[in-house]
Amino acid sequence: MVNTSKALTFTVQSECKHSRARVAIMKLPHYDVQTPVFMPVGTQGTMKGLLTDQLENLNCEIILGNTYHLGNRPGVDVLKKVGGLHKFMGWNRALLTDSGGFQMVSLLKLAEITEEGVKFRSPYDDSEIMLTPEKSIEIQNCIGADIVMQLDDVVQTTFQDYDRIKEATERTSRWLDRCLKAHKRPSEQNIFPIVQGLLNPELRRKSAEEHITKDVNGFAIGGLSGGEAKDDFWPMVSLGTEILDKSKPRYLMGVGLAIDLLVCVALGVDMFDCVFPTRTARFGCALVNKGQLNLKQKQFESDLNPIDSDCECTTCANYTRAYLHCIVSVETVACHLISVHNIAFQMRLMRTMRENIKQGTFPKFVKKFVNEIHPDKNFPTWINNSLLSVGINILED
Amino acid sequence: MRFSIKQTGCGGERIGYLTGFIRSPGAEIETPTAALFTQGGSVVNLTAEVLSKVFSNTKLLWLPLSNSINLETGVKAQNDGVAKFAGLQGHVTCATLHSLSEDTPSGHFELDRAPLWTKNGKRMVSADRYMDVMEIFKPDIILAIADGRTSLNEGSKRISKAVCRSNSMLKTCVNRYMSSKELQKSSLIGVVVGAGNPKKCDESLRNILTHVDNLTGISLQGILDGPEESRDIDSETLKKLFEKVGEALPKDFVYILEGNWNPSIILTAVEHGWDLFDGSYPLKLTNTGVAMKLNFDVTKENDTLYLLDMVDERYKADLKPILEGCECLACKKHTRAYIRHLLNTREMLASVLLSIHNLHHFDQMFYHARQHIASNTFAVFKQHITKQCEMVKDFPPNRYKGSNGTNIPTENQAPNIKRRNL
Ligand SMILES: [Zn+2]
Ligand SMILES: [Zn+2]
Repeated sequence: MVNTSKALTFTVQSECKHSRARVAIMKLPHYDVQTPVFMPVGTQGTMKGLLTDQLENLNCEIILGNTYHLGNRPGVDVLKKVGGLHKFMGWNRALLTDSGGFQMVSLLKLAEITEEGVKFRSPYDDSEIMLTPEKSIEIQNCIGADIVMQLDDVVQTTFQDYDRIKEATERTSRWLDRCLKAHKRPSEQNIFPIVQGLLNPELRRKSAEEHITKDVNGFAIGGLSGGEAKDDFWPMVSLGTEILDKSKPRYLMGVGLAIDLLVCVALGVDMFDCVFPTRTARFGCALVNKGQLNLKQKQFESDLNPIDSDCECTTCANYTRAYLHCIVSVETVACHLISVHNIAFQMRLMRTMRENIKQGTFPKFVKKFVNEIHPDKNFPTWINNSLLSVGINILED
Repeated sequence: MRFSIKQTGCGGERIGYLTGFIRSPGAEIETPTAALFTQGGSVVNLTAEVLSKVFSNTKLLWLPLSNSINLETGVKAQNDGVAKFAGLQGHVTCATLHSLSEDTPSGHFELDRAPLWTKNGKRMVSADRYMDVMEIFKPDIILAIADGRTSLNEGSKRISKAVCRSNSMLKTCVNRYMSSKELQKSSLIGVVVGAGNPKKCDESLRNILTHVDNLTGISLQGILDGPEESRDIDSETLKKLFEKVGEALPKDFVYILEGNWNPSIILTAVEHGWDLFDGSYPLKLTNTGVAMKLNFDVTKENDTLYLLDMVDERYKADLKPILEGCECLACKKHTRAYIRHLLNTREMLASVLLSIHNLHHFDQMFYHARQHIASNTFAVFKQHITKQCEMVKDFPPNRYKGSNGTNIPTENQAPNIKRRNL
């Protein structure tokens, strides 16, 4: 307890009087992160062609790296030599790494999961590799991120076989113990357990209840955002935040669409990550409140407006939609420019939510936001129900 | 635009200033210098935000129509010139038909039209159409449209046609220039062609002289027809050509050399009075994963190669910057190991960091060249650089040969890109 408490302190500053939304400072070894926070994903130690200076200008406070990719390239030896990923990529703020398990299962058809770990063939040299909980933590200790994830037994979200889901959920808890035992740098890095159980409330409850007994500084909710119906998705998030310790940060993995962020902040989630904002930029799509603009479309050919006239990013300050239309999917600069805007968009949304929570106007903000997207008030049931469950009625004025 | 020569050295080298840009009144470009090569109006790999971190002063942008003609509709709608449209207001632009370093099919000329090879295929452009675009793009400097893509060993029939066609297109450009207030805010540059045939080249030079009152300078084409092989020209041949052109034309002209020539050839041109280069050399290096690190200190013997193949395994754990002491953003913050990792994983930041360093370093080469011209020691500097260029005869490695143009991920890179997004 003495050791682990040093690597993360979570101080709630304001709470919404209606929903479970809260604003907090998550003090990590490399940075004091304001939550709720969105964490852009920089898979291989870089973010879509942006300089780390640019990420700082965009007010990114914590970003993600992928253990599986980094463990392969540049590899553990190089990371050890340079003194971790922070130094390797020139990023002084906070970092989070995943366990590598998800990549393996989703990327590699040959992966085989046993009690010992995940066995797979290396796509680099075809050798057989076993990723155990111990190995995952060893690599993550070497990468040196402020927050590291336990290795979990990943099953596709829409998977139906109860026995397999049960096995995966229970195994995830056993692997958590092995991860915590293998952790070599508890005063500098925090392991977050991952709540599993897919769409089964009982398994999820058991998983969460088991994890809150552990000596950890925060939790993740995993196994969602994998193609399940939204009506199935939000109750699992809600179940998680209900059980998980309120005094510790809760991280919902793989969620990043504006409306999802809004609802899940209301449900009490503090941290999010998603490849979507930067991935969609690559295809010429710029995020706006109502969704996204596909700048490739001919309608933007002579549109001299910025992507979003309310946006303060360097792209919107300097470039028109018409210009971006000309260079999307032709010049790499287009990808950088739209990535800058899309990250700025995510950061601004989170900042606005934090400000509204602090000022006690969060429910009002939520209503305004959903009404802007659905001016006809024809709200999808999941948005209506989820918000109603935490005391925000978007149907009343 | 005005070109004024401030100082001349022992040879033909000189320090000059480009000032009086009508669209950018305060701008001043010191020569000899290289422009920043653009694609689609942007400096390749660098957003305006990043560019402003690399260079704080006004730069000359090199703008080939072949990669920017697709901006026409938007530039026209905004009606404030191509630099503004591309988010680079404050910088000055020099527009030309195409980049001499591109690989394009040869021929395809018509009597009064030149082929423009764009990403979407061939477009035939007449001199009138070319000047229409210039009226919309409003560059500060306009290179006249010409049939300049012939190599030195091109057949005389082809050269003869190129000279004849270029002469007539220049005439149209000059006529359009004289009759348009908008175009007169730009400076017009004549293009010397047909360098492979002395007689025909003389004809091209004579023709340019007939328009001398409407021209601010010349660009020397008719040396290359694109492919890498045509760049294997010995420096003696080029020297003679530089001399010939320099003697035939007014000294107060701006002299431009296009093409991704190595530093030794560039400094040879400078020695013969050349002022402006198109900036395609550092881009070529960046596109092939190569960093340059010339030793500029003439008092120090240099025994290491000035080109680093950053893809090479040897840099895997090299924690030094590309060039120790380099003041560029990439060197101040990042290691060779990191850049090598980015190249190895095909991350876009690799090209960004290499661009930052290579552009900065190339710019530094011109800075040192001007310093040496000012102190009458240019010959020493040139020899110092030439020696370093001679050491890398067999570099870059073969796998880079012929690679030019853009570094847009191609279809066969798709699986890799997909993977890194996960
Ligand atoms: Zn923006
Ligand atoms: Zn440098």
